[in-house]
Amino acid sequence: MITRRDLFKVAGVGAVALTVAPGMVRESFGAPKKISIDDALKEHLGTGLSGLKESNLIHIKAPTIAESGANVPVQVSANIPVDQVEALYIFADANFNPWVATVEFTPMNGEVFFATRIKLAKTSPVRAVVKMKDGSLLAASKEVKVTVGGCG
Amino acid sequence: MHLTRRDFLELAIVTGAYMSANPVAALAKMSYNDIMRFKPVGNVTLLFTTDMHAHLDPLYFSEPMNLVAPKKLMGTPGFITGMDFLRYYKIAPGTLEAYFTSCIDFPKLAHKFGKMGGAAHITTIIKHVIAERGRDKVLVMDGGDTWTTTAIGTFTEGKSVVEWMNYTGYDLFVAHWDFTFGKETFLKRIDDLKKGGCEFISHNIVDELWGELVFKPYTIKEVGGAKLGIIGSSFPFTPLANPRQFVEGWSFGIREDQLQQFVDELREKHKVDAVIFLTHNGFPLDQKIAKVVKGIDVIISGHTHDVTPKAVRVGKTLILIAGSHGKFVGRLDLDIRNGRIRNYNFKLYPVATNLIPADKGAQKIVDKWKREVSKTHKLDEEIGVAEVMLYKRDTFFSTWDWLVGEAINDYYGGELDVVTSPGYRWGTVVLPGQKITRDHVYDYTAITYPNVYVLKRTGKELLTVWEDVADNVFNPDPFYQQGGDMSRLWNVEYEIEINGPQYNRIRNVKIGGKPLKENKEYLMAVYGGPPPPPDAIHPDFKPVPVYNILIDYIRKKKNIKVRTKPNVKVLDAPYRTYEECFGT
Repeated sequence: MITRRDLFKVAGVGAVALTVAPGMVRESFGAPKKISIDDALKEHLGTGLSGLKESNLIHIKAPTIAESGANVPVQVSANIPVDQVEALYIFADANFNPWVATVEFTPMNGEVFFATRIKLAKTSPVRAVVKMKDGSLLAASKEVKVTVGGCG
Repeated sequence: MHLTRRDFLELAIVTGAYMSANPVAALAKMSYNDIMRFKPVGNVTLLFTTDMHAHLDPLYFSEPMNLVAPKKLMGTPGFITGMDFLRYYKIAPGTLEAYFTSCIDFPKLAHKFGKMGGAAHITTIIKHVIAERGRDKVLVMDGGDTWTTTAIGTFTEGKSVVEWMNYTGYDLFVAHWDFTFGKETFLKRIDDLKKGGCEFISHNIVDELWGELVFKPYTIKEVGGAKLGIIGSSFPFTPLANPRQFVEGWSFGIREDQLQQFVDELREKHKVDAVIFLTHNGFPLDQKIAKVVKGIDVIISGHTHDVTPKAVRVGKTLILIAGSHGKFVGRLDLDIRNGRIRNYNFKLYPVATNLIPADKGAQKIVDKWKREVSKTHKLDEEIGVAEVMLYKRDTFFSTWDWLVGEAINDYYGGELDVVTSPGYRWGTVVLPGQKITRDHVYDYTAITYPNVYVLKRTGKELLTVWEDVADNVFNPDPFYQQGGDMSRLWNVEYEIEINGPQYNRIRNVKIGGKPLKENKEYLMAVYGGPPPPPDAIHPDFKPVPVYNILIDYIRKKKNIKVRTKPNVKVLDAPYRTYEECFGT
């Protein structure tokens, strides 16, 4: 098992180039319309949902039901040699702006692995897209439920 | 125990008792052996209980009329009830086994067969099997929800139950409601258990910040010459289903990837002969675990209170669950040689209180703690009489919850629009004509956060919460279910499409007979969930423990008669009503 502490050690060895969505997840506050997942994909990858190829080489580790939507641990790994990979993108469909992060890889990283915490406005698929050096887009998704509470 | 001659003849047939001058004594003598009859197999015996909910005393507890399920899961173990259950497992109606496993004719059979469970009676069964097999061949496990939700459990902070567990000889434990004493008390009780030789194991509790394991994820035991790896799993959604403050800083979850790693570690590194998974995950969830995690031989499940007269097999994994409220002790005998299970035999012993003598030492512990709690809580005080059967378990509606709605509304001056009761699966049954005691009220409500809160909520906010709970109950994927029933909504009527879209299942909601208006503010009372933020609580209505409200109300009303007709219409699945199970 890789703990977060281990992860930081790994990150220290081969740092990834990381770009993340700024600020908070907001529902409105005078901002323009919610960006659809299709539009977010187009903006970052040049193609919408139809351009993604579902792949079981990509594995998303995230809770099925989030303990808090404000802080959802997400871990993505891909069983693909790192030198074939250009970047990893993470999206959350239901967020106001679905784009969460872009992680660029170099062979120094050793493997395609990235762990972070994301905010989810509400129940949403969390998507990982791996952009290959040949331009193809491999993707996987997992639904994470954000719940107001429950009863046992 | 009163038996007519005809009852006795029927009973004699089902239990194998013979006629004698003293039928009850003869019955007890014969039936104990009959209940304990079991063909031992191999070198390992697993004994297990789960979801006792701190019922150290015997009780009546009916299995549910309904376990309404999404289409994908309908008719699968975990979602079969009543006559369907008896047919599925080929159990003859009217027998002791039918009484323990289905709701059919429950009040009638309760008069015939008497109470169920009781810690001292469970001890007798466990000691019996240990004596028969030898201590080195037996592993005794409990699946959690064991220390709280009765007066004797909650008001002793679980000490009563832990003392009994240690006396009885439990080896392993996982948890859920047990966490609701808060971390500090929980860790103390775990320590008490440890002194008695019982280990708490859980692979799915990690430090929230660092992701490191908080407890030992698994243990390795030599049993009957075989090396067993046992992994534990506590309830994956504890911080959501119960107030987060009790487990602050701990993160739970299903963590199936991590589970696979531990299974592999046990097999490859520790070369165990078999991998056992002891859980409080819920029966449907564990059936999915068996599909996605490879290499588990046996799952001993808990949480959803299901009864498996026969083991369920998914791939190479056997899944078993021993009901709830101390009604059953599960026994699984395994023939394990050279890393393979070659044969097994399985039985759920029904803990028929009248037929299984109490263990004297265990009874002493129960009596001691009961006396202690009675000093302050007058447990045996009779406060009313039930005119209908009071029960809690059902997917949507119960007589008990409707009574709670009436009582809370009455307490707050009759001003409430809605009372929401939680969809817990635990409680007790009070038979028609039976005296209601204070202890009964605690059996339904004795939790560590008992306050009722009155809030203002818009129609839209109410609907959002109810849809959210409905998805936790009816999501077709068990990994997204929380394993409880739907919230009970007093003074509300609605229709529901179980297979409707997520967050869009509920239709035609009426509050007090009038259609729900999304923008209207409603006055609602709620208890038993995560506490509302302080500024949301209506300043004119003081929070009060729900059991105090109930005790006063029942005492005032004396004869308790509540509606038996559900307030919910299910549009796309069968939904049985009171009369079909409990008679008129």
